[in-house]
Amino acid sequence: MTKRMVRASGLLAATAAAAMMLTACGNDAASSGAASAPASGSDTNGKTVELEYIHRLPDGEGMTKVNDIVAKWNAAHPDIQVKATKWDGAAQELQTKLETDVKAGNAPCLAQVGYGEVPSLFVKGLFEDVTPYASKYASHYSDATMTMMTVGGTVVGLPQDTGPLVYYYNKAAFDELGLKVPTTIDELVSEAKTAAASGKHILAFTPDETTYWVSALAAASGASWYGTEGDSWTVNTQDANSTKVAEALQTTLDDKSALVVNRWDDAFGAALLDGSLIGHIGAAWEAPLLSDTMKNSDNVGKWAVAQLPTIGDKAMSGPDGGSGVAVMKGCPNPEQAMEFADWFNTQVPDLVSQGLVTAATTEPMTTPEAVSKFYGGQDVFAELATANEKMNPNFPYIPGFSAISDAMVQAGTAAGNGSGKVVDILKAAQDASVKALKDLGLAVK
Amino acid sequence: MAQTTTAGAQLKRGHRQREKRETRTGWMFLAPFLVLFTVCFLIPIFVSIYQSFFQQKASGGGLYGGGGVQENVFVAFDNYKYVVTSVEFWTGMGRILLFGIIQVPVMIIAALALALLIDSITVRHPGPWRLSYFLPYAVPGVVAAVLWTYIYHPQMSPINKILESVGASGISFFDPKIIILSMANMTTWTFTGYNMLIFLAALQAIPKDLYEAARIDGATNWQVIRKIKIPLVADAALLAILLSIIGTVQLFNEPTVMRAANPWMSADYMPMLMAYNTLMGNLSPSGNGPASAVSIVMALIAGVLAVFYFLIQRKVVK
Repeated sequence: MTKRMVRASGLLAATAAAAMMLTACGNDAASSGAASAPASGSDTNGKTVELEYIHRLPDGEGMTKVNDIVAKWNAAHPDIQVKATKWDGAAQELQTKLETDVKAGNAPCLAQVGYGEVPSLFVKGLFEDVTPYASKYASHYSDATMTMMTVGGTVVGLPQDTGPLVYYYNKAAFDELGLKVPTTIDELVSEAKTAAASGKHILAFTPDETTYWVSALAAASGASWYGTEGDSWTVNTQDANSTKVAEALQTTLDDKSALVVNRWDDAFGAALLDGSLIGHIGAAWEAPLLSDTMKNSDNVGKWAVAQLPTIGDKAMSGPDGGSGVAVMKGCPNPEQAMEFADWFNTQVPDLVSQGLVTAATTEPMTTPEAVSKFYGGQDVFAELATANEKMNPNFPYIPGFSAISDAMVQAGTAAGNGSGKVVDILKAAQDASVKALKDLGLAVK
Repeated sequence: MAQTTTAGAQLKRGHRQREKRETRTGWMFLAPFLVLFTVCFLIPIFVSIYQSFFQQKASGGGLYGGGGVQENVFVAFDNYKYVVTSVEFWTGMGRILLFGIIQVPVMIIAALALALLIDSITVRHPGPWRLSYFLPYAVPGVVAAVLWTYIYHPQMSPINKILESVGASGISFFDPKIIILSMANMTTWTFTGYNMLIFLAALQAIPKDLYEAARIDGATNWQVIRKIKIPLVADAALLAILLSIIGTVQLFNEPTVMRAANPWMSADYMPMLMAYNTLMGNLSPSGNGPASAVSIVMALIAGVLAVFYFLIQRKVVK
């Protein structure tokens, strides 16, 4: 999610980040020296336990800084001292660093990992089994997010933030055009057509976000792409529900009622600002991003957040991003690490200030004033919390999920420019998933 | 007689000792290079060759391979088989060849032309010119990436704004059919100055009396360039072209930058991207083994191309 936020700050920034990646080899060498101090200490003879926590939260202007949050913990817990390190490279490079560090036996105790990556890293043996310590904290988080930090019954850490899909729309523009806020996917398609007649788009098709966007929509439809039969995986990305999503999207592409634009291209923000894009199916963490994109424009106060239109039999949402804090292999104090992780992940107001929609349900999130003002005084975070609770709890990812993204984005681009169909995205996901599992040496039925 | 022999032997021993000492000093001077060369170059190459024969496989059984019981399995030439039979790899290589055939000649000719201009006696202050041609090479990659994305971006491109203001239509630099040229342009901008320096060094090493002799014989400026300067920088051209061929096969910055703005470019758009994304787990199979195999096959191809060019040039010069 942090990676997404970095990308969100615009195409140029995205390019800069990519270019930064080019020099990352140098940075990596420099930073690994500093970060390689092994978590040490012991609680048995009253000595201080030292934990290292590596994160990629934004730590931006006006946010409660991670180091300040951690300082509160350190002051209250003289026996468990935590050192937080911010990872400035790409999310994926953090995974590679963690893999190397675990092999070398000097990994940090705690690290931020994306939900989609958890099974892959688990297969690589990067996590401690913290199941025995997890039960007392599990009630602090929504079931769907706890699932994301559990691999085949083994808990590897605690969830931090979440990205259920919701529907953002420009209420004023909807009223003006006499549009109804869609509550079902069929209504979405028909209202989109009505809006398109007046030159407006109530949804965007974003090829660059194909992987998580389409899989989250499939999850919201009630699909479960990955299942198990004995010791084998089953992959079913082309079931009736997912196909229903694909066909609905295809209709909006065919009648040009969906705006085809990359989510992290400046053109997306431009379409919001000039009022041609007045609705968007997006992740919960996009709420502050959208308000930030349109701040100081005449859109302020006009937008609103609604639940995702119902796709399948039941009103559900699907997971689009989000991450947790995992305990890394070799951590000598997993119990203390979990204690801190739970404390940190339940610092709801501080985490909301970092732009997160928290996985913790221990206290209600307070909508930041700027966000609330943009959405006409709506209690946005309460709406997002509802979406979090309605998230399909049965949509686990497979090991190697990151390797299917490229194929899906290619197919998504083809669907967007008309050279392919939306159902081809599901086909691409199917083939790439089976291949990824087989390449990892895992059984697939 | 005996004494002389002893003296001779002593002299010899002295010689030998001095030789030994000199050898030792020589090695000491060489040591910093050798250490760095071994650590930064030889060891990584051997590690990568070694790794290219292995794959990491989950071995614990079950859905998640036992959750961490991973084995480095010796797979012989499987990784290589995967690379050489991969359609994506060869498509990427094809893009590289297309890129190289267009970009390398343009850049080398431009570099030679700039070097000849600076070397010509009519330029009074070559310093600032030399610096300005070389400057793009010194611009950090991040800055250059931001710069070019801005210049090429369909909505922001200043080039297109100028073109449109004079009534011409804009160029879609990000178009799948044009993007290779857009990247070639970036590379040319960056490296022309660098190659110019190679040529310039060769030009300035040419003894000035050759020019004098030519002029006495009535040679024109053009003849001096054509008959003296260009033939004498042939070796420098060989170096510049070989470096360019190797650099082209390893093209990474440009496609990475372009991909940030154009998600339609695949993770294996060009071979170096493929190696990187294989290592990062964005492509399957992933991991050290397959990624090493991709890079080694790339190195072999670069080597073959370089030797091929070397042989052709030798034949042409003869």
